[in-house]
Amino acid sequence: MLSKLKRLINNMNLIRIRFWIQLISFVLFVYGGYFAIYLGSKLPIFACPYNGKSAGACFLIPLQHQLSMPVQILLGGAGIAVIFGILTFLFWFIFLNKAWCGYVCPFGTFQDWLTLLRKQIGIRYSTYTQHQFEKLSKIKYILLAIVILVPLLIGVGALGGEWSAAFCQICPARIISPTFGGDFSQWSIDFSTKTSMVLTAIGMIFAGLFFIGSFVKKRFFCFFCPMSALHYIFSKFSFVQLRKDGSKCTRCGDCYAVCDMQIKDIADDVISTEILRDDCILCLKCVAACPEDDALHFDILKLRAFSSTKQGFEKRMGIAKPKGDADDKHTRA
Amino acid sequence: MTSIQEHKQEHKIETPNEKQNRHKAMEALKVLNTLKEGFKTPPKAMEYFYDLFENVYCNHTALHHDKVKVGTMCIQIPSEIIYALDGVPIRLCNGFYTDDEIGSDFLPQKACPLVKASVGHLASKNLTDKPDMIYSPTTCDQKTKAGSIIEGFGYDVVDVDFPRTKESEISREFFRRSIREFSVDLSQKMGKKLTKKNLRSSISKIGYAQSLYHQISEFRKNKIVPILGNDMFLVTNAFFFDKIDNWIEAAEVLVKELEQRVKDEVHAAGKVSPRIVYTGSPPIFPNYKIPLIIEDSDAIIVADETCSSNRMFNDRVAVDEWFVNDMLDSLADKYLKACTCPVFSKNDDRIRRIIELVRSHNADGVIYQAFAGCTVYELEQRSVLEAMEREGISILYIESDYSPSQHGQLSTRVEAFVESLKIKNRNKR
Repeated sequence: MLSKLKRLINNMNLIRIRFWIQLISFVLFVYGGYFAIYLGSKLPIFACPYNGKSAGACFLIPLQHQLSMPVQILLGGAGIAVIFGILTFLFWFIFLNKAWCGYVCPFGTFQDWLTLLRKQIGIRYSTYTQHQFEKLSKIKYILLAIVILVPLLIGVGALGGEWSAAFCQICPARIISPTFGGDFSQWSIDFSTKTSMVLTAIGMIFAGLFFIGSFVKKRFFCFFCPMSALHYIFSKFSFVQLRKDGSKCTRCGDCYAVCDMQIKDIADDVISTEILRDDCILCLKCVAACPEDDALHFDILKLRAFSSTKQGFEKRMGIAKPKGDADDKHTRA
Repeated sequence: MTSIQEHKQEHKIETPNEKQNRHKAMEALKVLNTLKEGFKTPPKAMEYFYDLFENVYCNHTALHHDKVKVGTMCIQIPSEIIYALDGVPIRLCNGFYTDDEIGSDFLPQKACPLVKASVGHLASKNLTDKPDMIYSPTTCDQKTKAGSIIEGFGYDVVDVDFPRTKESEISREFFRRSIREFSVDLSQKMGKKLTKKNLRSSISKIGYAQSLYHQISEFRKNKIVPILGNDMFLVTNAFFFDKIDNWIEAAEVLVKELEQRVKDEVHAAGKVSPRIVYTGSPPIFPNYKIPLIIEDSDAIIVADETCSSNRMFNDRVAVDEWFVNDMLDSLADKYLKACTCPVFSKNDDRIRRIIELVRSHNADGVIYQAFAGCTVYELEQRSVLEAMEREGISILYIESDYSPSQHGQLSTRVEAFVESLKIKNRNKR
């Protein structure tokens, strides 16, 4: 019975299942407000509170607000609030690890839909070279530094109030997310101060880039996402892990070929058993595309929840007995 | 009675081609007869393969008169692309001593017998299924040069650039471009376009053939091994030239029969026969010299790490978005990244694969054969031996060629190795 269930899971059509989970999560996090759902403001995803109907909010917002408090307050009682915030964030994060990105984040899902649209039109995706990839992949840490350092500088008085929530001002999610709720008001530049003008203008440029980038490149924004960088710091604490058995890996590169985030290690590293990398969105496409039994697996508390199998691979890749046409029969006779 | 009839017949001088064919038929029959009669009952499904090899190599029956035949010098030319364009891939690797001798005129004495035999075969121009064009991936030095020698015989030979480092991203990009160019060239020559539909269906077809190979390999992991390694080499070698649909059908029948044999507990060898993983220079029909000695010495080959079998079938193609270029890239990756050929600068993957095969197939030892002159396997021998020693895996290294001589000396060494494995097993128990 258990082995039957296991086979059923390992043979599942991941793409279809993921599509539905993403759709449901998208509706929940973009329109959840209509159903009076609110999951707090410490979520590990880009569920933007600028969209009034969101069912929860991105942790980066309270984080920036809390860190920008004057130093004396921050080092006093408010520090507890910061720690409590991080713990709440961690509480959410522990269940899904980076799968928040691959399955729940509405901003990630929206990128997958742009990819879907491109596929329908019949345009091939583009990729970065390994060199570009290594450089671009570091940008998210710079953005994370903005998320953390700018508020601290406000707190010590080095920066003015117009820098408040600086990252949000440049974040494309702030501009695009409310649009799904019918609110176009974020599509503008804030001229109140010079700083705001520059920051919101950058935000507009990023939003534009987001559309173009995500159309030609799979999960374009996720390479730069500071939330993804923050995730990575805590990813080891999660109940769920992506693991690899290097002895079973042939380094065929199938997992790398399907990886939206172009993570080379997933194919080439045969030493690490913990194969989750900072760019990973835990979409599990690699596990689905691996043709070796148990070489890659998604574990929940060390139990293999979803493993790569030969059978599952064949099913998902549409490998089936060829139907011999009449012509073949003729030549055979 | 017969001698009188022979006298009556007009005395006919044998042409060189006839002589070549007669000698090759003798070589082929010797191996086929040994396989049919020298071992415990082979699976009935093997009849198809015995007949196929007899028809092609003894009776010179052409299989593909109605199709464009695309010759390939090495396994790195994706058959998926050739089939998608309605051609037939013919792997030109050759295992005949007769052809090896012909080839000796064109290559240095110390060259690899496989390359010499392939060149000799094409030099004789005596081919049952003559390739209409040849693609030569620049894998090892000898294969690379062989391509240009063959061109001198009047064949249309196109080099397909193959990198000799596989870890780097540059190599990956390089081979992806190389495969794209190959597909453009072939599609122009065939006057047919590579489409999403025909490429996808041929990937699926080869994938299915591979899945049959994987199923057979699973049986070989059992305690009771239902098929000999030599028979398995015959099955995989047939993929070099057979009609793919026929091969698939025959392999399906074989899988069913092996399933039954496992249930009926029919062991292809003896119960205590040591289990061997075979690696090194590829056994190409009819040069089953070493594999036959191994299985004659009461051991059984349960797995192999050679390009004529395991390496050709093991790795699969995964595609994310089924566009032609995406499929081509994935194909290129399969034929480069997963390849465990010793031509590459570094080759830990090959060692890892051998160890994994020993573990998964519960093997007792490894036999590593290198053709004298097959430089890359000779060069890599040391590192593999060291790695096996580290892992505590018994290994025997043998150098051989295509000549029918040295049989006594080789079999003594193999028998001694097999015997030592048996003693080890006995002591363990």
